[in-house]
Amino acid sequence: MNLHVVVANLVVSIKSFYRDKTVVFFRIAFPVILILVFGTIFMERDNEIFNLDVQDLDQTTSSAQLVKTIGLSGRFKITQVAPAVNAAQYAKDKKRNLVLIIPKGFEESLMHRMGLDDPNAFVTLTEIHDPSSFGVTTKMQVLNMVLAGINQKMSGKPPFIKSAETSILTKKYRFIEFFVPGIIAMAVMTSSLFGAVNVNAELLQKGVIRKLSTTPITRTDWILSNVLYQFILAVLSTIVMLLVSYGVFKVSLVINAWLLVFVALDVFAFVGLGMILTRVAKEAESAAAAADALMFPMMFLSGTFFPVEMMPEFLQKFAKVLPLYYVNEGLRASMVSVDNTAALRYAAVIGIFAAVVFVLGIMITTLSEEAT
Amino acid sequence: MTKETEYAIEVERLTKRYGELLAVNDISFTVRKGEVFAFLGVNGAGKTTTVEIIETIRTLTSGKVSLLGMDVTKRKRDIVTRIGVLPQGFNSFDRITVRETIQYYSRLFSCRNTDVDGLIELVDLKEKTKEQFKDLSGGLKQRLGIAVALVNDPEVVFLDEPTTGLDPRARREVWEVLLGLRKKGKTVFLTTHYMEEAELLADRVAIIAKGKIIAMDSPVQLIEDNANYMVLTLRSVEERASEIIRKIGFEPIHDNHSNIKIRLEHTDDVQKVLNAIKEGGTSFLGLDVRKPNLEEVFLKLTGETLHEDPAGERGAE
Repeated sequence: MNLHVVVANLVVSIKSFYRDKTVVFFRIAFPVILILVFGTIFMERDNEIFNLDVQDLDQTTSSAQLVKTIGLSGRFKITQVAPAVNAAQYAKDKKRNLVLIIPKGFEESLMHRMGLDDPNAFVTLTEIHDPSSFGVTTKMQVLNMVLAGINQKMSGKPPFIKSAETSILTKKYRFIEFFVPGIIAMAVMTSSLFGAVNVNAELLQKGVIRKLSTTPITRTDWILSNVLYQFILAVLSTIVMLLVSYGVFKVSLVINAWLLVFVALDVFAFVGLGMILTRVAKEAESAAAAADALMFPMMFLSGTFFPVEMMPEFLQKFAKVLPLYYVNEGLRASMVSVDNTAALRYAAVIGIFAAVVFVLGIMITTLSEEAT
Repeated sequence: MTKETEYAIEVERLTKRYGELLAVNDISFTVRKGEVFAFLGVNGAGKTTTVEIIETIRTLTSGKVSLLGMDVTKRKRDIVTRIGVLPQGFNSFDRITVRETIQYYSRLFSCRNTDVDGLIELVDLKEKTKEQFKDLSGGLKQRLGIAVALVNDPEVVFLDEPTTGLDPRARREVWEVLLGLRKKGKTVFLTTHYMEEAELLADRVAIIAKGKIIAMDSPVQLIEDNANYMVLTLRSVEERASEIIRKIGFEPIHDNHSNIKIRLEHTDDVQKVLNAIKEGGTSFLGLDVRKPNLEEVFLKLTGETLHEDPAGERGAE
């Protein structure tokens, strides 16, 4: 190995990178945008306040008190709908996914129940909803929970069954804290795989590799500089992602040596895979298509965007043969649950995969005749 | 161990097969140190395969190839530091400037003393040092490729089709650079399908067809040995002149511009043809008499014409 040569390659790669604004965008800005978009969506869901339109047909002190109590739950921002309006038409016209109707006679029924202690006196609140609207089910579930709480309080007796939540984690974590490690793993995978495939296939096709084969550069120098370059980009991209996550979402993630270990293993595994694809596919276009075919199942089935446990059982089994799953889980074990044993286990699996793929990549990569 | 020899390149019974295809068929030749040697042939004749075997990029099927006394199959690492290569259609990193490209290749050879400015001057790219590779025209890219081939001050320079796809002006500019290399005493191995290029630059020419060398000598000697005649060209001549020429025993060849070419063995024949035309009452606008060139030799030897491969065309200045 010649350090001069490795450094020369590294310098050329880094210059080529920062002079190509499109590449900079996709490598650095794109994962950040993903974090910002998904982080914002799911951040709001953690403490979401829903808009609720209420039509009070009773117009009494009791019905007004009910509306106030629903508002005081802190889960709804109330908009009053005039009694004369057709609630269903209103929902359609104003594009509201849920309108709660308090019927006429609400106070009267309440008096029967409270004053005369009549157990058969009850009132039905109508929930006019749009079932095609995303999130209306959650909104109705939250409303029904609030109404159940009001019912319970009105009974004047404390609930018999109570529940207490105990997290297996030391702190309370939000969705974003589970999401960021997944995005780091995915971004490093994407840039390593595509970086290796695109750069090598393009240079091969343009004959640059052939020219390099008439210089003293060796296969080891070439591959090592490729890996170092991808590792530098991966570290840079990870730092930016973490800074944005801390700055915007005030995430609570543990940064330790495991982060660097998993980023490095991610790079080695997917640069190795990229080198194999480049060699097997030969044409730049077919290599990129093969990389796409490998990458998409991994992005969606390895637990990057949603937990693997949400998938059907056969897909959960499939997820466990995908290398990205082990990077995702390893990063979460180290950054979220701070479980060193689990992190070590995941690191061992991805480490073996990386070693096999990388050695294979080195073995089949050539800078001479067969590269043409 | 390196064998001291007067030859820069020695090729002995070289054969290269790609499966069933015989790309190079049992060829032998030598190139002396300081010589400019041209390999002439149509696309697919085996030029690039041969040169890439000598450059150590390709493996050979059989035979023996030595470069500066070293076996190319065994001494790749020693050989690459002593040669410079301009591959066919030189390409480099798109977003790296002219200066940076030369510096990069210089670092690959661990050369601390590369005269980057001197090389830039040699290939006349002084005005373009800060231009990125992707913004250079085809001619400028080739000139940069030549500079890159010289970063390690090589003893043998390989130039594979250095002017293919360039316009006449860019081609002449590259030739200027190559003449400069010749003056410097470098051994140059040139592959080309341009006759004019070989004739102008080469000390010796080898003509290769279908993987075989069919002739090898200096351009002058090749012409002398294979085309000992003159060509009389009559410009814008009347059609019936052909009949008159045939009557006196010569075969006229028409081109697309109403010109007639007549192959003549003796200088007296020129007068004979001109007299016959005058007596026949026909006219022409001009004439020239010249010795045949390499192109005609090539045509005679191979039965093939040399033409530019449109696929190989690149942008030019």
